[in-house]
Amino acid sequence: MAKKPPGIAIPKDIAALSFEDALAELDKIVGELESGKVKLNEAIGAYERGAKLKSHCEAKLAEAKAKVEKIVPSADGTVGAESMD
Amino acid sequence: MTTLIFTHKACLSHDPGANHPESPARLQAVLDALKSPAFAQCKWHEAPRAVPAQLALVHPGDYAERILAAVPASNGYALDPDTVLSPGSGEAALRAAGALVAAVDAVMAGDGDNAFCAVRPPGHHAEPNRPMGFCVFNNAAIGALHARRNHGLERVAVVDFDVHHGNGTQAMFARDPSLFYASTHQFPYYPGTGAADETGVGNLVNVPLAPFSGSAEFRAAMTDTILPALSAFDPGFIIISAGFDAHQNDPLAQLGLTEADYGWVTAELLQVANQTCAGRVVSTLEGGYDLGALAASVGAHVSALMAFPQA
Repeated sequence: MAKKPPGIAIPKDIAALSFEDALAELDKIVGELESGKVKLNEAIGAYERGAKLKSHCEAKLAEAKAKVEKIVPSADGTVGAESMD
Repeated sequence: MTTLIFTHKACLSHDPGANHPESPARLQAVLDALKSPAFAQCKWHEAPRAVPAQLALVHPGDYAERILAAVPASNGYALDPDTVLSPGSGEAALRAAGALVAAVDAVMAGDGDNAFCAVRPPGHHAEPNRPMGFCVFNNAAIGALHARRNHGLERVAVVDFDVHHGNGTQAMFARDPSLFYASTHQFPYYPGTGAADETGVGNLVNVPLAPFSGSAEFRAAMTDTILPALSAFDPGFIIISAGFDAHQNDPLAQLGLTEADYGWVTAELLQVANQTCAGRVVSTLEGGYDLGALAASVGAHVSALMAFPQA
């Protein structure tokens, strides 16, 4: 039986990050894990923060994609965006 | 089958500090489990201290001397942010390494068919010149090099199923085609090494496992990759770096093994040992940080060591 990934509850400090800032921090964590700079005792914490950053980045991307999909050509040939609301 | 157990009470006196996961309670849980009637057939031995020449098999120069000189008279001394010495650590580390040497000698002498070393601190992260990741001396590598030097064995293998990659053992073995190191481990993860393309001189086999891999992925890594490579290497002796932190309940990692997987892999390794080296196996405790999972996993591991019929 595989261990189940924990539910991803995004903490407030991550929720407040822009896509770019979250991706930059995720890059840094992955780099540290890959280069062995993280303590053994803290590796799981680093991994879990990375997973939350990834989840936040994915949510931001999904949001942007939804906005792009809402862009529809109007009858007069101009292109506009529908309100997300 | 007679399985020998090597341990020493000094290994309970290495105390890296309150709340440190590599606690004396780990070894106590292992010893309590092995004292149940199911293991009454095992023969217990007190681990001797390793001597400087044995430590120097893998740790060159004045490494051991410097470690022992750093052992504090009180409180703790941090060798690295994870690895802390207490007043009892020098004796514990010497007994942990000495257990491997004595276990190899006992199995070679036919005093038992195989052996388990219930010791701490663990060893597989300790590099030739660097203690790290809870590890001081590389116990498994010292056992392997001792087997080769003192018993005239041409090829010795270490198989490591701890959830973390044994960077230390790999560093010691990487350029020596008469030594073989194979590992399954979560990746990317601490300590950062263990990618599949780290193959040494064709004598390293690394099978990284993605987080949340479980029994199926672990057994496939062993069956498809590690066991055939180990058989092909044709070892004269097999040392197991037995960490139990890939268990699904372990707090330090994210793989999903159960004690049944540890029983299975032990039996599989013994089968290769029977085919290649008259069943000569010495296993040593590495990680495993959930006390209940650790006790149950060591139980399954040692039961498999005891149960396997001689070829």
